Amino acid sequence: MLYLQILANGLVLGGLYACIAAGFSLVWGVLNVINILHGSFIVLGGYLAFFGYVEFGIHPFASIVIAAPLFFVLGYALQRALINRMIAAPVLLTLTLTFGLDLVLSNGMLAAFTADFRKLILEPPLGVATLGPVVMPVDRLAAMLLALALTGMLYLLLAKSRIGRAIVAVRMDREAAALMGVTVPRVYAITFGLGALMAGASGPLLAMIFPISPLGGPVYLGKAFVICVLGGLGSVPGAMLGGLLLGVVESFGALWFGPEHATTLSFVLLILILLLRPEGLLGRKGYA
Amino acid sequence: MKRLSLLGALLAGALATGGAAAQDVIRIGAPLPITGPLSPEAQKQQRGYNLWAEAANKAGGVKVGDKRMKVEIVYVDYQSNTPRAVQAAEKLITQDKVHFLFSPFGSGAAKAASSVSEKYQVPTIAATASSAQVYDQGYKFLFGTFTPNDTLTEPLSDIIRKQAAGVQRVAILARNDLFPLAIAQEMEKSAKKRGMNVVYFEKYAIGTLDHASALSQIKAQAPHWIFATGYTNDLVAMRKQMADQKIEAPVVTMIAAPAYQEWIDATGKLSENVTSAAWWHPAARYKGKDVFGTTEAFVKAFRDKYKADPDYGEASAAASAAIFQLAIEKAGSLDRQKVRDALAAMNEMTFWGPVKFGPTGQIVSLEPPVFQIQKGKPTVVFPPAIRQADLKLGVAY
Repeated sequence: MLYLQILANGLVLGGLYACIAAGFSLVWGVLNVINILHGSFIVLGGYLAFFGYVEFGIHPFASIVIAAPLFFVLGYALQRALINRMIAAPVLLTLTLTFGLDLVLSNGMLAAFTADFRKLILEPPLGVATLGPVVMPVDRLAAMLLALALTGMLYLLLAKSRIGRAIVAVRMDREAAALMGVTVPRVYAITFGLGALMAGASGPLLAMIFPISPLGGPVYLGKAFVICVLGGLGSVPGAMLGGLLLGVVESFGALWFGPEHATTLSFVLLILILLLRPEGLLGRKGYA
Repeated sequence: MKRLSLLGALLAGALATGGAAAQDVIRIGAPLPITGPLSPEAQKQQRGYNLWAEAANKAGGVKVGDKRMKVEIVYVDYQSNTPRAVQAAEKLITQDKVHFLFSPFGSGAAKAASSVSEKYQVPTIAATASSAQVYDQGYKFLFGTFTPNDTLTEPLSDIIRKQAAGVQRVAILARNDLFPLAIAQEMEKSAKKRGMNVVYFEKYAIGTLDHASALSQIKAQAPHWIFATGYTNDLVAMRKQMADQKIEAPVVTMIAAPAYQEWIDATGKLSENVTSAAWWHPAARYKGKDVFGTTEAFVKAFRDKYKADPDYGEASAAASAAIFQLAIEKAGSLDRQKVRDALAAMNEMTFWGPVKFGPTGQIVSLEPPVFQIQKGKPTVVFPPAIRQADLKLGVAY
């Protein structure tokens, strides 16, 4: 019975993890840019939902619809204006650039929102669903389903749409894609915009569940890293699988080895994957 | 008159050996984590120190012998990095030539920096170090305003034992960090001493985002008393996740977050009936001999300046500074050895409570209050002298 509960906890947590990682994985896989800003984008999305709810009564689920286009534009502009200038540079330089931008963003949030921890409290709360012996908070459940839907939509976009195929083509072979008439800088900007969109849209989901603070970005970023390596870079199904796996493994890790070692098991798994299947569970040269 | 003060200034200048500025003003060094993860704590400390400096200067300064001297706090940022805290303390003593020192934040950093102040024989007051290991090094120049951790868990266990006899099964979940873990271990001792059964004791890692697994296990143990430690972030997340798992218990205690308004705001209705303990509470009613006077006067001065109620961290910072003032005035001099002796011999009432330091330098005279969040406000339930309401049992989801 306890096992069922732990499994359910892990799956729901994993759904959130998938959502955290999908955009990060996409940007890393396609642009070869490690976007340190990703965590802070999530936090900013969280603040948008927090103030939207407290000041204007906008439900966090509705905030997602507002956040998505805003963050897409923000990401697109950022890529066009700054990151594109460095895109051909070695990966460490773009990492440094996004690291610097992250310092600016997180300190800006610190100045604007203060260091107070805040929490979005829904009134009335969404409550808890009971399924036999298993209890499941509705906000987590809904957030997980939405997260999976968002991730699924990203997957469909990449697999079916024209721009999605262009993104995949650029990921597979930039020169060949350019020769086929794909405008690479534009595809890059759209990809970065999509990555920012995924971060901004997961912010409101996470704001319902975790406290929000301006310096909370690195925690999300750390999870995104692990999930990408587990699932395979640049693969949306990989991010989903990696996220779910990480959630479940952390849950059982906490049960078997105590909560202080919740992440021990997941890092052991990470090392094993790196040794045995360095491209990740679903990673491959092709995409989507 | 004007000529006289000019003469006095010239005379003072002529007598001064270490620069005129150092003679006119009492300088106290404060190494603080002004940037980095602990920056919110540094802001609290600064609010306390600054409030005192303002109050002392407004009153004409600190009385040293038969003259009055203004005060100044000299801040150095150690970026939430303990080794740098030690360097910062040394810089304050050797380069900034401060007369006295406050310890850096928390038990760990205070202990690390105490060897520096001992080396230079600079009287140092730690405003935020409770662990006994900070004070057991045989140092003569270190003093602290927090009583040992067990003074928080003992009265808490007493009152629960007395008012909730049915409480038998205790579950403890602690952040794996110096203070949160130390207080959890004291709790375990206090509970066992009273015949309670500790059915769960686990630690969680710093930076843990999700407590669902640990809480599922706690729920399976059906405890009567859930005792969780950590900082604001941890305990906001944990309280919410307890509700997510439909966990209820007669008693839920969290240390240290519920003393902060921020935690109450961030947990909303879920904060109701959560108990906690701290070294001080604004509801205390002491009639002090320090610059602030009564606890009420201190709380009012704090509210006027910051538009918020002081918490125990802010009050402790102000108290540390006010205690320095008492010691300097008693010693009648800025001589470090004399001020140190005045601190060691101190037995005074302050807005913070009675101040008397034990042989190790740690305060022994405080009786930390137990409080409970009732109707969204921290409400003192113990000791009886300052009790605002009776303890309520039952924490729901």
